[in-house]
Amino acid sequence: MANSQGKRRRIVADIVRHARPQTSPLQRGRTRLAALLAASALMLAAPGAASASTPAQSGSTKASSAKPKGSGAGRTAAHGAGRAAKANTRNASAATTRPAAAKPAPRKAAASSSAAIQEATGAEARLIAVYELFGRGKTRPALAKARDLVRDYPNFQLAQLVYADLLATQVPPAHAFSDSGIARLRSDPAMADLREESRRRLQALRERPAAGTVPSQFLALSTRSRYAIAVDASRSRLYLLENSDKGLQLVADYYVSVGKSGIDKAAEGDARTPLGVYYITSSLDPKSLRDFYGAGALPINYPNPYDVRRGKTGGGIWLHGTPSQQFARAPQASDGCVVMANPDLKQLLRKVQIGATPVITARSLQWISPPQAEKEAQAFTSTIAAWKEARASGNEAQLKKFYLPDFQRSNNKKSTEGFAVLRDEVEYARGKRVQFKDVSYLHWRDGDDTMVATFGEVFEGEKSGRTRRQYWLRHGSEWKLFYEEVPG
Amino acid sequence: MPKSPLPRARFSLTPAVRALLLASACGMALPALAAAEHDEVDRLMQAGKLDEAMGRADAFLKDKPKDPQMRFLKGVIQLDTGKRAEAIAAFTQLTQDAPELPEPYNNLAVIYASQNQFDKARSALESAIRTNPSYATAQENLGDVYARLASQAYSKALQLDQNNTAVQPKLAVIRTLFTPAPAGGKPAATVAAAAPMAKAPVAAAPAPAPAPVAKAAPPAPAPAVVAKAPEASAPSASTSTAASAAAPAPAPAAASPAATAEVESAVRGWASAWAGQDMDRYLAAYGPDFNPGGGQSRKSWEEERRARIVGKSSISVNIENLVINVNGQAATAKFRQIYRADNLNISSRKTLELQRSGNQWQIRKESVGG
Repeated sequence: MANSQGKRRRIVADIVRHARPQTSPLQRGRTRLAALLAASALMLAAPGAASASTPAQSGSTKASSAKPKGSGAGRTAAHGAGRAAKANTRNASAATTRPAAAKPAPRKAAASSSAAIQEATGAEARLIAVYELFGRGKTRPALAKARDLVRDYPNFQLAQLVYADLLATQVPPAHAFSDSGIARLRSDPAMADLREESRRRLQALRERPAAGTVPSQFLALSTRSRYAIAVDASRSRLYLLENSDKGLQLVADYYVSVGKSGIDKAAEGDARTPLGVYYITSSLDPKSLRDFYGAGALPINYPNPYDVRRGKTGGGIWLHGTPSQQFARAPQASDGCVVMANPDLKQLLRKVQIGATPVITARSLQWISPPQAEKEAQAFTSTIAAWKEARASGNEAQLKKFYLPDFQRSNNKKSTEGFAVLRDEVEYARGKRVQFKDVSYLHWRDGDDTMVATFGEVFEGEKSGRTRRQYWLRHGSEWKLFYEEVPG
Repeated sequence: MPKSPLPRARFSLTPAVRALLLASACGMALPALAAAEHDEVDRLMQAGKLDEAMGRADAFLKDKPKDPQMRFLKGVIQLDTGKRAEAIAAFTQLTQDAPELPEPYNNLAVIYASQNQFDKARSALESAIRTNPSYATAQENLGDVYARLASQAYSKALQLDQNNTAVQPKLAVIRTLFTPAPAGGKPAATVAAAAPMAKAPVAAAPAPAPAPVAKAAPPAPAPAVVAKAPEASAPSASTSTAASAAAPAPAPAAASPAATAEVESAVRGWASAWAGQDMDRYLAAYGPDFNPGGGQSRKSWEEERRARIVGKSSISVNIENLVINVNGQAATAKFRQIYRADNLNISSRKTLELQRSGNQWQIRKESVGG
């Protein structure tokens, strides 16, 4: 973990830097001091740094001796996180100055700092404000704000930890931290979870997706889906995007927990969160749920046909809330569900549409520009168009090329296997003009390249049509259908 | 780095200035007279005669209901007799009437802390320090309260049962409004002398008979054996030995003088080990059945003591007005403990309960006040 400290320090230093865009030399000096202070506070929060040294000592010695090395921590290092982090930071600053630009230049530190964490929700925003104040050396106001925060959210464990760290800075050094068992509490193994939660919240708030970008899975989204959800497990973050005529736009994001054994669920009981493209299938009344699930639950359709095809098992994967005695849970704490703080979940519950809101759960989201998404969508559109043409031509052999031999279709619980479907298709569609509408393409790539295409088809002369959801798998340069759902 | 958020200025009102402030606060014409009565009440308190002290305080306050010093002493008596609510009311009223005094805030904080209301304790101590930034007792107490609050918050962060980790901080009560100035000051010995002197003018007015003076004498004798420090070898013990020496001859005690001397030597050994930061000897002064109280384990108590004692640049622990009671294999030692460390200077009353084991007296219980 040692090499993550540099990064952590940089994160806070960034907050600090953003907080004071224009400062006098004196203030800059204080800001630098503040950054050191903040680093020490977060080092308090670093696993393994719990040993007896006071914040004063760790702050001054570490900060003066060590220049943080650019190497990022473990997993993200694979993506060149050292440089990426910096780049993201710049992106983030660009992104965050845009809203501010509409107003006169942000003089006040408070204004610009709140811009830097604009997307944070209530309790988290207040927590970050505490970090930010402390980062600027304003320990007393930070302490006061932390006190208010734990008063309002006594079950917010991370807020309690930050409050505790701030209180500990007020204990005179001569007092020694062995007093009142502080040292013992600090070295409790369970602290590691909270520190990791802290790290991830900060990271997610620092490394914002570039303005206007969308998760790479959302190639096209029908406006019938008014919202879309994307979970980035590496950041412990759920992003809520609003879908309108103007396209997808990020409107909020929330801290989430995933499975205690991590992600990439494969089998029932493995305590992992599945990775893939899903839809919300229902919304469970919190009154019917145990307190453990908090404000409600939104089941998703794991295992989806692609998961089934690959032999994945298990089920009952929900987005749900937290038990009343816990505001948030550790980054990896569930049996495979995605868990959010109740106030956050309540916001989500007001927005989701059963059957229509897609949920992407990814190891790490890639954000792409809308034109790029459009370009990729068009490439796939040509496949769908060819399929449609083959069907309309009535040439069964031609149509067959679009299907894998083990193709399945489910139609209202009735399942049909193999090419028997094709005859029906051909008979049904032959010679009719058909219009596709409300098209969504969700692209999922792991070992394989898959596409979940949803659209309505209305045949000429008919008022309403039916909705199809097709699962495509890329074989070489060609897309093949392996599953289709036609509800109704 | 965060030594302390507050300036560590050595600023402090001199006792004289504060006396003037107090005098003007209560519009007293004769501060000296009142001071004598304050000292008398203080002496009674130290002697454990709380009812009597209370009686005198009440009588005094009938005439001078606004006198802050006496109201403060009364508050301390209420605290000592377990009347927390009354003590809170007394100290709270004092913070309103004499907001420049840090002591009432400090004592309010001590009570709040004992009720686990650490946030209230914190804000009271911060008020105390605002009124006088160099008030060492309040500073030390505030450190304790912050440590306690921090440990509470850490426990909540870990969702631990608070009761498992509860360690009562031992905050120091301030017992009089003036921290006595030890250098050249008038130690306790003068209290006994001052009482009759103060009485004299009052008594002299109606009838200059010798009777009142004679009457005033009886309160002076100490209740039990006053152990004399035989040699003035104790560090800076000049004032304490003077105090003991000035006290009237010890009343015949039930216990043997030899046992009393043994206990005294144990107590002084304990104090000198503490002052010498000799942890082995210090901890050995406590018997195996010593209970630190507050549910704290012996081990964590030892760690806490070690952390508090070792590393201070200097510690001095002086013992004044030592009163020893021996009862077979058990003994109590009550005294005023003048503790100085770095820039702290805390005077408090202390009671040690000791137990003889073999030819050694060891501490079984230690309490502040009482």
